Amino acid sequence: MKTDDRFDLPQGTLDLLIMRVVALGPIHGYAIAQRIQQMSREALQVQQGSLYPALHRLEYKKLLNSNWQPSETGREAKFYELTAKGRAHLKAETENWKRLTDVVSLILKGTLEGIS
Amino acid sequence: MSWVPRLFVRKRMEIDLDKELQFHFESQIADKVRSGIPESEARRLTRIEFGGIEQIKEDCRESRGTLWIESIVQDVRYGVRQLRKSPGFTFVAIVSLALGIGANTAIFTLLNAIMLRPLPVQNPGELLLFGNGIAQGSTESVPDGSTRLFSYSFFHDFRQKDTSFSGIAAVDSTQFATKASIGGAAYQTTHVNLVSGSYFSVLGVPAFLGRTIEESEDGAPGDGAIAVASYSWFQRHFNGDPSALGKVIRIQSHDYTLVGVAKPGFYGVTVGQSTDLWIPLSMEKAFSRPGWNGLGTKLFQSLYLIGRLKPGVTADQASAETNLLFKQIVRDYIGPQPSQKHLADIAHASIQLTRGGCGISFLGFAFSLPLKILMAIVALVLLIACANIANMLLARGVARTREVAMRMALGATRRRIVFQLLTESALLAFLGAAAGVALAWKASAMLLNMAIPGPDQVPLNLAPDFRVLAFTLGVTVLTALLFGALPAFRATDLEFTPALKDGRGSSSASSRGALTRSLIVGQVALSVLLLVVAGLFIRSLIHLYDVDTGFDKHNVFVFTLDSSTANLPHGPDEIRSVHLQEQIEDQVRAIPGVQSDSFAFFAFNDGGWGDQVLFQGIPRTPANGEPVSFNITGKGFYDAMGIPLIEGRVFNSEDRQNSPRVAIINQTMARHFFPNSSPIGHRFAIGETPDHPGEIEVIGVVKDAKYFTLNEGPQMAAYFPCTQNPGFYGNFLVRYAPGTNRQEIISRARHAITEINSNILVDNVSSLEEQVDRSIAMQSLIARISGFFGILAVLLACMGIYGLLSYSVARRTSELGIRLALGAQSHTLLWLVLRESILLLVLGLAVGIPIALSSTHILKSLLYQLSPLDPMAISVAIAAVALMMIAAAWLPARRATRVDPLQALRAE
Repeated sequence: MKTDDRFDLPQGTLDLLIMRVVALGPIHGYAIAQRIQQMSREALQVQQGSLYPALHRLEYKKLLNSNWQPSETGREAKFYELTAKGRAHLKAETENWKRLTDVVSLILKGTLEGIS
Repeated sequence: MSWVPRLFVRKRMEIDLDKELQFHFESQIADKVRSGIPESEARRLTRIEFGGIEQIKEDCRESRGTLWIESIVQDVRYGVRQLRKSPGFTFVAIVSLALGIGANTAIFTLLNAIMLRPLPVQNPGELLLFGNGIAQGSTESVPDGSTRLFSYSFFHDFRQKDTSFSGIAAVDSTQFATKASIGGAAYQTTHVNLVSGSYFSVLGVPAFLGRTIEESEDGAPGDGAIAVASYSWFQRHFNGDPSALGKVIRIQSHDYTLVGVAKPGFYGVTVGQSTDLWIPLSMEKAFSRPGWNGLGTKLFQSLYLIGRLKPGVTADQASAETNLLFKQIVRDYIGPQPSQKHLADIAHASIQLTRGGCGISFLGFAFSLPLKILMAIVALVLLIACANIANMLLARGVARTREVAMRMALGATRRRIVFQLLTESALLAFLGAAAGVALAWKASAMLLNMAIPGPDQVPLNLAPDFRVLAFTLGVTVLTALLFGALPAFRATDLEFTPALKDGRGSSSASSRGALTRSLIVGQVALSVLLLVVAGLFIRSLIHLYDVDTGFDKHNVFVFTLDSSTANLPHGPDEIRSVHLQEQIEDQVRAIPGVQSDSFAFFAFNDGGWGDQVLFQGIPRTPANGEPVSFNITGKGFYDAMGIPLIEGRVFNSEDRQNSPRVAIINQTMARHFFPNSSPIGHRFAIGETPDHPGEIEVIGVVKDAKYFTLNEGPQMAAYFPCTQNPGFYGNFLVRYAPGTNRQEIISRARHAITEINSNILVDNVSSLEEQVDRSIAMQSLIARISGFFGILAVLLACMGIYGLLSYSVARRTSELGIRLALGAQSHTLLWLVLRESILLLVLGLAVGIPIALSSTHILKSLLYQLSPLDPMAISVAIAAVALMMIAAAWLPARRATRVDPLQALRAE
């Protein structure tokens, strides 16, 4: 199913993406998956098999809260939102991520012999 | 959410999870429909994209953490259902585990009580016992070698020095069962122990009520007429009433004031002894005991010493210092001009400081090897039981292949299923353990009573403590893993497609077979080992029963009399108690049916007294320098015991207190001193260098007998008449004519004794035969236990082989049918099936016999006149195992020959 412009997420990144999406306002699981797909310009497709365990893990760690609300179609859906702890966590992790990517790209800058 | 409420809201969470995923699923379909895909196609695509929905759910549950508690509850429920589905298997497994774990717990309980349990005192780890405690009574010889008993003088002199000990307690090595009366009530048997004034404070045992003995009360002789009671004695007699303090207790003929009660659970420092009253050592003279010289003498060594180490001092430092001081102090006791020999003795003397925190334990000394061997036996039996259950589980694993494959296909992880199967095993193990502990509770007391029989149960604390509980828990968990782990991993090691198709795990079938077979080989090996051990013990016991005791143990009563409340005069010249004995002898002999009777110092296996002797004019040889066992008897002793006279005469009424001193000796003594002539008329004296050479004349020679144990070798013995060694001797032997009414003789003898002196109490009546049996109780216990478990082990192994063959015959029904249809003879088929079990049997023996041959030497010291490689025991064990295994294999094998070819083919 994988095409060339899609790739696997590094370990732990999914949690960060989910929290980022949830930070925009209460949202249910299906919409999270779609939003990540849109925002990544279709490059990332989150599988249900990873999404839901991640959501439950974040909720268990008290980074997310959930409640049942009617969705846009009128059906009840489980909506997630960030807790205060989650917000702080997101902030710290985003900083970390930025620092990491800066450092990594600093090293990877320039072309390498033998790699096309 | 913490896990406790989560257990209760689990259902709700499951519903939510379902709803959440369902919502996603429907939304995805709706999106697809909106983009123009027909609904049925959209649904199909979505389902493909979604993958295993159960798998997602399981991952969600797992990501919530603390899943284990939920899954354990779930697994236990599931396990209980599975076990209830096959009650036969469950029953057999639980019964064999109950026996295995129960036996292990029971033996460990004894081991713990005798060897491991610390005394209920303060910091038991700091206590050091002087010597190893394996001596009791008193000695007056100059210390030589490892010293275990100490004099009262030494205790005081040693305490004067500044030593490594913050305190030292002294306690009389002999606790007496004597008679006490509270406030003039009837005398009752009471166990009294003499202790130093420092005893309670050094041990750190506080008073439960009142106070304990104080230092000042253990001063000048006769100073401290007080007593401290044990809590249980206090409860028995005063029912917890504090007004007991200040009551007067008469012990023998002295009055003591009860000043306190020791804390509950403290029964003294000797394991297997329970003290009722503690009395200061200063009161020693108030106790009458024949042959006891008193604490005044510097070398009268009768005490145990227990010291408490000062903080920071090591046992090695204490040992060096103690030994140095010991030699200095004892050197002063032997006078200004000691003999060379005494000086050499003291140079050899030493004190070995041993750990005293677990108390003084003769029992530990006597029982440590037997208990360890019993422990090993029951551990092996448990191992065999585990192998058996593992085999049954393997067979069940095959039957459950389809179930396991289904669950794995539905998304359960292998770990999850292994865990579930292990939970089932743990469930079995814990059910077995629960039954086993209940069994052990009764069994350990019963075992103790079998090991040390007697009118009173040995006071040992057998209540399970944390050590026993931890042991049982450990054994249970280990057991569950032992029998559960391999089958669980096997069961989940599957190839899916065939497993789902026909319910047989093709990949594991052959390796399962190999595993089962090696388990059976192991079982055969262990059972042959256990049977060899059992055979050795049983043969040794038979030898013991066949020993010529030298006396006739049948039709003899042994009355144990207590004269301590009769206030008899005692002393070396006091003949009145001997006259009293003669009166009793005469009266009882007049009872119809009584053939002979006599008082004696010792009957059989109840202690002894001995020394070297020297005959006039006979040079010392290594053989005649051995100690001689002495006894003091009445005239009728030799008839009553049935010890035949070889030459000369026995004691008669001519042997009076003031007539020449006489003795009867046994054959061994006669042979050692007079190899070629008769000893009659020759004279000897007691001691290495006697003061009065030749004061005792030999008047008779009697046949050799056993004196202390059945397995002792021939030893020299000499008998002296009561009239020339006055004292009241507690053993009264009565021989009656076979077929007489025993109860009648007992009651008439009691009556006669009361009539002569109503203060002489009959403590106990047993028979000589019981005394002989009691002396080999331990051997008989080991033989019985090893026999029982040996047979159990073989039966378990038989069950294993029976199960394996039944299963393989059932699986091969069609093959056997075809063979029969093609004309195979039934004996060929029989051989086909039996061949395998015979191979397993031979392999098992090939493993087991070398193990047995190389390990039975451990038992050597417990076997009587039997080589640990006794060919009889070994061949009987092999034959028994072989016969039973072949019998177990025969049944399923015969079934194979009765297969109906038509049916077998149809079944395919």
